[in-house]
Amino acid sequence: MGEDAGRPVVVELSGISKQFPGVLANDAISLEIREGEIFAILGENGAGKTTLMNILFGLYRPDEGEIRIRGQAVSFTSPRDATAQGIGMVHQHFKLVENYTVTENIILGLEPLKKWLGLFPLINSKGANREIASLSDHYGLKVDPRLVISQTSVSVQQRVEILKMLYRKADILIFDEPTAMLAPQEIEHLIGVIHELRRHGKTVILITHKLDEIRRLADRCAVLRRGRLIGVYDVASTDTAHLAATMVGQALDLEIHKEEQPLGDVILEVENLTVMQEKNVTAVRDVSFQVRSGEILALAGVSGNGQVEIVEAIYGQMKAASGTILLNGIDITAHSIRSRIREGISYVPEDRQKTGLVVDLSLSENLALKTYGQPPFSRRKILNRAAFRRHAEQLIEAYDIRSGSGQATKVHSMSGGNQQKAIVAREIDLDNGLIIFVQPTRGLDIAARAHIHRQILAERAKGHAIILVSLELEEVMELADTIAVIYNGALRKTAPARDMTMEEVGKLMLGVDL
Amino acid sequence: MIDRIIIDGLAFSLPLFAMAIGGIFSEKSGITMLALEGIQGFGAFCGAVAFALLQPLIPGGTQVIIYPVLAAAMLGGMIFALLHAYMSIRFRLNQVISGVVVNILAMSLTIFLTGLINERLTGEPSNKIWLGAAPRFSVPGLSKIPVIGAIFRDLYIFAPFIVLFALISGILLYRTRFGLRLRACGENPQSVEAAGCSVKRIRYLALALCGLLTGLGGMNFAFTFSANFSPTIYMGYGYLAIAALICGNWDIRRTLFTCLIFGFARSGGYQLILKLGMSSDLSDLFLMIPYVLTLLLLLFLSRHNHPPSALGSDYEYDRR
Amino acid sequence: MKRETKRKDSARRASFARLLIPLASVLLTFMVLTAVFLLIGRNPLTAIYSFFQGSGLGMKSSYTSSSSMLTDFFSYLGILSPMLLGSLGVVVGLRGGLFNIGVSGQMLLSGFTATVLVGYSKLSPALAIPLVLLIGLLTGALLGAVIGWLKYRFNVHEVVSSIMFNYIVSFLTGYFIKTRYVDPIIRSSRQVAANARLNLTFNTGSGLKLVIPVGIFIAVAMAFLIRFYLERTVGGFEIRMVGFNRHGAAYAGVPIRNVMVRTMLISGALAGLAGVTYYLGYYSTMVPKDLPSLGYDAIAVALLGNLGPIGCIFSSALITVFQKGAVYMSSATGVVREIASLVTGILLLFSSLGVSMRDRIRHYD
Repeated sequence: MGEDAGRPVVVELSGISKQFPGVLANDAISLEIREGEIFAILGENGAGKTTLMNILFGLYRPDEGEIRIRGQAVSFTSPRDATAQGIGMVHQHFKLVENYTVTENIILGLEPLKKWLGLFPLINSKGANREIASLSDHYGLKVDPRLVISQTSVSVQQRVEILKMLYRKADILIFDEPTAMLAPQEIEHLIGVIHELRRHGKTVILITHKLDEIRRLADRCAVLRRGRLIGVYDVASTDTAHLAATMVGQALDLEIHKEEQPLGDVILEVENLTVMQEKNVTAVRDVSFQVRSGEILALAGVSGNGQVEIVEAIYGQMKAASGTILLNGIDITAHSIRSRIREGISYVPEDRQKTGLVVDLSLSENLALKTYGQPPFSRRKILNRAAFRRHAEQLIEAYDIRSGSGQATKVHSMSGGNQQKAIVAREIDLDNGLIIFVQPTRGLDIAARAHIHRQILAERAKGHAIILVSLELEEVMELADTIAVIYNGALRKTAPARDMTMEEVGKLMLGVDL
Repeated sequence: MIDRIIIDGLAFSLPLFAMAIGGIFSEKSGITMLALEGIQGFGAFCGAVAFALLQPLIPGGTQVIIYPVLAAAMLGGMIFALLHAYMSIRFRLNQVISGVVVNILAMSLTIFLTGLINERLTGEPSNKIWLGAAPRFSVPGLSKIPVIGAIFRDLYIFAPFIVLFALISGILLYRTRFGLRLRACGENPQSVEAAGCSVKRIRYLALALCGLLTGLGGMNFAFTFSANFSPTIYMGYGYLAIAALICGNWDIRRTLFTCLIFGFARSGGYQLILKLGMSSDLSDLFLMIPYVLTLLLLLFLSRHNHPPSALGSDYEYDRR
Repeated sequence: MKRETKRKDSARRASFARLLIPLASVLLTFMVLTAVFLLIGRNPLTAIYSFFQGSGLGMKSSYTSSSSMLTDFFSYLGILSPMLLGSLGVVVGLRGGLFNIGVSGQMLLSGFTATVLVGYSKLSPALAIPLVLLIGLLTGALLGAVIGWLKYRFNVHEVVSSIMFNYIVSFLTGYFIKTRYVDPIIRSSRQVAANARLNLTFNTGSGLKLVIPVGIFIAVAMAFLIRFYLERTVGGFEIRMVGFNRHGAAYAGVPIRNVMVRTMLISGALAGLAGVTYYLGYYSTMVPKDLPSLGYDAIAVALLGNLGPIGCIFSSALITVFQKGAVYMSSATGVVREIASLVTGILLLFSSLGVSMRDRIRHYD
């Protein structure tokens, strides 16, 4: 890392600005990245990191500013231009076609051809498979080229995304939050891959909000805050706490106080639950657990191992193939969603816009989304608009929900953070004995995150039972009283959080035998 | 009797199949296609107008002018398909609404223009353009085989075109670059964009192909089932073609199978009335068969079908 | 204070935008129509006015002994009723996320059933009229509910199934009309008895017979009723929720199956009412296998009316002017009647683009 000064500048961004309706995502950002270094871009959610890299990758056009690659000014009209300059990007949400094979996904857009009957250009599938196999060997990224993506795990899919870049001979590789969906051991593996890529002479740009990854990987780090570049720091000689403070910009009280408290009665009991997905795939196998009053049970696991299906079966969105679900002693296995809501289950879902809200309706209507059929919101099947308004204004005040026109605002125009506040407000206001949170802090900045954690703990203090599904192990270790690790649809271990280490949880998540 | 069932059945199945393949191109690329009815009607209209204009000019009868007429029909179909594409892509109009709008517009436009053109040409504002019968042929040798030979007998001039285009479509969709990218547009357009290809361009091309094939089918129907172009071209066959591709699970081979079922059920039912000597009034009931059959097939097959994942979804084309 | 005025401003802007788009569509259509008339060598002003004359909204140059502008107007109201009712059916469907393109078939079924059951009976009008309306409502509702149920239970796309039913009903009723109920002279079903028709007849002193269509009152009443239902009741709220976001509605506990069937049931019921006001009101006979194009025009009316019941009153009034006035326009100007469907088609084109623009606008609120 000392030989930086000698290496040429390979990417130069000067004065890049990008405006979206209502928000200035990038504000005159200028930075230089040197060949062969691992350069991190650090910032909270919403700081503008992904936008900046999307501009570098050619997906967006900057409103102002210039990009130079290896000294030459370039203007990208599409990712094709960026690829031609040797730039590749692995996005946070993979851009893969589910029913295509590994090879088809990799070659899409740059397909090798063979001439059929000497005339017609057809795709050379066999040649492509061979090429992918050798590429994956060369870089140590094991994949089976003929597997269909829908049958593969998240970390294999990530390897496919990386191979996409390498197939196009990219030497500037951008990774956007690559460890978000990985278990600790998979993260280790990825770190090894990145080092290997550097050994092959590649330049790596890493977008992340995780400080320890920067510490372990990056040479230098740029900190973005609210669209502006705050500074570029040499990682080895900068204190992590300083980086954190710069990222957030103010001293925040991030302490959340989790007190010891005795557990009460069993609120939810799940016995031998089995849930099927379509096509005879078992998503949840014979799962049993309990949640008590005042307890936070975290379902930890790699994405796609059945956590969401368990929750959906408890809430009623999916049918249980076998097993029982008991809420306060009553068997609710065959009950409708509506009766489960009335019997005492609240649910903050992962997808705000598709599930948790009806974005074309107003804020007040969304805050009464589950209660509109009962007094005071309606009497004898006729709606009472005034009651909607009053209730909404109460919650807006109590939960600090910000919107353009108050309770009459159409929810689609509210920010993600405020939409989440609205959902959480509604669900807590239902005052139900069981409340389920799935990925409650996804995409939120540190302050909002801490706030939601405090709300979850407040519910716990009230004596409610809480199920937390989260892919962020730190969140799980911080909040959970009990951790249930799920792998391949089955619970591998359920134990009090204080008796488990992060490493153990990670291993269990990956199905490693202990 | 079996001979007639096969011949008449194919005469219905093949044009239906052509339209259904057109629909497959559109839907596989991610654009919901409910506009086949209007597209085939407009294509048939353009072909009919070409016929009416060329017929008095070119000697040699229908044999000769059938080719430019067909070209006119296919181009006409392409124009209307691109209209649907333009509304869906440029205006991001709900594609179900756009499809129905195209159908209604085609109906009203073609009926109005037919009346107008007839008035100019013949002085009579009739709503029909006479086409006469289309040339038919039999494949020498193969058509002599008992039973199966009927497949190759009395084929309309359009049949070999349809078969050829069907084969080309299969290769295009599954073995070429264009096909790989087109199908990806229907599953995950973001991945196509990230690969540097233009989703917009691919979808416009897909719709153009849809229009060409559907216009061919429409012209075929006009010549074979009514010998004229008139409002009866809008018999719901476009919707039958859509149902066929749904039941065929968006797969060309399966769709062919479904179209064959529709065609043979129709011709089989008709032959049955003749055989049993029933009154012609009853023929109305038998004309119902393809529609009832469609409904039943849809009932049983719609549950397990797998439309392209991004079908009809609202996509931001120029997010830059 | 500032927040209040800002909120009022944006609300005013929104309702202004909502009105602007349909007005623009109408204006554009008139411009296209004018151009078309000019191209075929006719005076666009007299031509367009002749549509209104034909609908009883303008004085004709001469009237026969038994007609007047008033009788023309009542006749116009008679065809307006099914148009308005049909469009209300489309609106309810679309608001619930379902496209009822089967209005024609539902009309045929209800018209046929009412004709057969009550149309040839000798019941007094006081009994017959409510009975006809009830039958219309119920048959339409039944067919609609089946379509809705097929969608929920078997995932059958409602557009395709509706079209299939359109043709099945058309062939079925055509068969029965031709074999059992035909009047060989007019080649359509036997005329419905006068006592079963949905008209109120008044003989004025001066020898003029005024035939007032009962349907218009039903139609306008329905428009207000549907608006109340959608905006102010629990049931209507659920329909709108499902129409906006089915997944979110399910999450909120809304019983999706019930709502989908209910939406199509109401939509079909309105189409059924359209059917009886059409076949036992405006007309008194049914031509076999003739699917009324009104079923498709109703879609244009619904989109032009911004998918709102009250808006449909205005848009149906406008489109009906063209449909009804086409015959008179054709005899007055010599232009083919079908130009009326062309107008509807173009109006549909512009108003649907307008609907999409309005949805685009709201994203940058």
